[in-house]
Amino acid sequence: MSVTDQGLLHRDKDTMTLNMGPQHPSTHGVFRVILEMDGEVVKTAEPEIGYLHTGIEKTSENKRYVHVIPMTDRLDYLNPPGNNLAFCLTTEKLLGVEIPDRANVLRVIMCELSRIASHLVWLGTHALDIGAMTVFLYCWREREMILDLNEEISGVRMMTSYIRIGGVAKDATRPWLDGIRDFIEYFPAKVDEYERLLTKNPIWLDRTEGVGAFTREEAINWSFSGPALRASGVNWDIRKAQPYSCYDNYDFDVPVLNNGDIFDRYRVRVEEMRQSRAIIKQALESLPEGPYKTPDNKVSLPPRETLHTSMEALIHHFKLVSEGISVPVGETYVPIEGARGEVGFYIVSDGTNVPARVKLRAPSFMAIPGMCKMMEGCYIADVVGIIGSIDIVMGEVDR
Amino acid sequence: MTSEEIIEKVKAGLADAIQDTDLPQGDAVIFVAPDSWHAVADFLKNDADLKFDYFSDVRGVDYLLEEREPRFESVYQLYSIDHQHSIRVRVGIDEDNPSVPTVSDLWKGALYPEQELFDMFGINVEGHPTMERLIMPKGWEGFPLRKDYPLTTETVTFSYNRDFKSDLVKSKPPTR
Repeated sequence: MSVTDQGLLHRDKDTMTLNMGPQHPSTHGVFRVILEMDGEVVKTAEPEIGYLHTGIEKTSENKRYVHVIPMTDRLDYLNPPGNNLAFCLTTEKLLGVEIPDRANVLRVIMCELSRIASHLVWLGTHALDIGAMTVFLYCWREREMILDLNEEISGVRMMTSYIRIGGVAKDATRPWLDGIRDFIEYFPAKVDEYERLLTKNPIWLDRTEGVGAFTREEAINWSFSGPALRASGVNWDIRKAQPYSCYDNYDFDVPVLNNGDIFDRYRVRVEEMRQSRAIIKQALESLPEGPYKTPDNKVSLPPRETLHTSMEALIHHFKLVSEGISVPVGETYVPIEGARGEVGFYIVSDGTNVPARVKLRAPSFMAIPGMCKMMEGCYIADVVGIIGSIDIVMGEVDR
Repeated sequence: MTSEEIIEKVKAGLADAIQDTDLPQGDAVIFVAPDSWHAVADFLKNDADLKFDYFSDVRGVDYLLEEREPRFESVYQLYSIDHQHSIRVRVGIDEDNPSVPTVSDLWKGALYPEQELFDMFGINVEGHPTMERLIMPKGWEGFPLRKDYPLTTETVTFSYNRDFKSDLVKSKPPTR
């Protein structure tokens, strides 16, 4: 019997359905996309998420404010201080507490270090996806230094929980500050090194230029944020648009490019690493003396040595440890510029020590439908490039 | 525009659709009924002075424990990239037959968070192209972020632990 008689060549459609993920190394976590292929060209891409859902928002509604902070680390696990900061700023806005200058500067240093670390992970894995192996090893080398600095200041390499409500966990130490000074002297030459490997590399250009392009209008309409939005020609950086902490004290540029393709997203992020280094440098030079957390003992613990001499300090200590921070009734939202874009927590408080609702605005989650729209009409080989260039982190997508 | 000017402008443009306004900690907040939400959204996006072209997020909130009427609320955050201002829109949604019109025809970015609104709160988003589970598995029962959804562990179908007792996964009321 011939093949035709068996009906093997009879098909209802001319396309092939191809499953990619959830266990695919280039999807950066457990992201699944179902591709409808016409030959080598993607006709439609349907995303599927939820494999990493841990119910952090529900858990947050049953934990005290302070206990939510370590969970925010696990959302965007490549940029934990950004998430800590977003949660703390929102809670502090509800509480109405003032943060000391030194704490604000330490927060900025921590966030910018983590932005560099996050972009290094992105650059390494993105280049690895497209086939440039060396960059990965170089990026990991520099990231290791930042993780060592994290360990010095907080005791933990990745999930630092360093930024707390009312300030930071502990004051800057001398080895940490010296380590950062060494790092910012060492780092610029390394960024040039990555660029020497990639920016004019003909293979890299072939794979990235003009691929996965979004216009300005499309990028805004699909709610892209962060570097992906700025690569499409939108000058929108929350550090400039709605300054928080003390970003308005620093002089830095927001890189904006116009093509909106993979190559421009790459260039925006590389330039951002240089700008972050510039911010850290200015912050270190202007690091003020003073307390590293608010003196308001309703929010932060009184100094340890006062417990033996002051009755009031003992009461505050007892109340804070046993009951936690009580936040006035209200709802608010403070956006910040994370490594991937706009991060923010919408918090509803019912006046108790437990939040009534915590909702994360995750840049990766918002970018996924647009990213899949971008894949339509691309070659299958470019799908991994597009996923890598948007820089999704599944921890914050599925929450 | 400052928050006060935004509220004045919105009030002038849509007097009858705005239920209430608020300025908590300096943010512009307006309250809208679900019926008029789509018209309000259209105005906010297309008015030349406001021009809220960027959809940041929508969150559901369940006010069951506060015993507030209406029980649900969906809260929208919008920005204007050109004018660099923002607004928060709170849409109160009734408990029986909760539904709200979609704005994904105005901002494509609303597609995913609106689907999550259905997934987590059971709020039906009218006109949304894919009203099905997003994060929870297909066929999941209940809406996890509602306040009457108990905080329990999922029943375990398989365990390496030989002495596994079903008591271990019994529900525990949340501690306050």
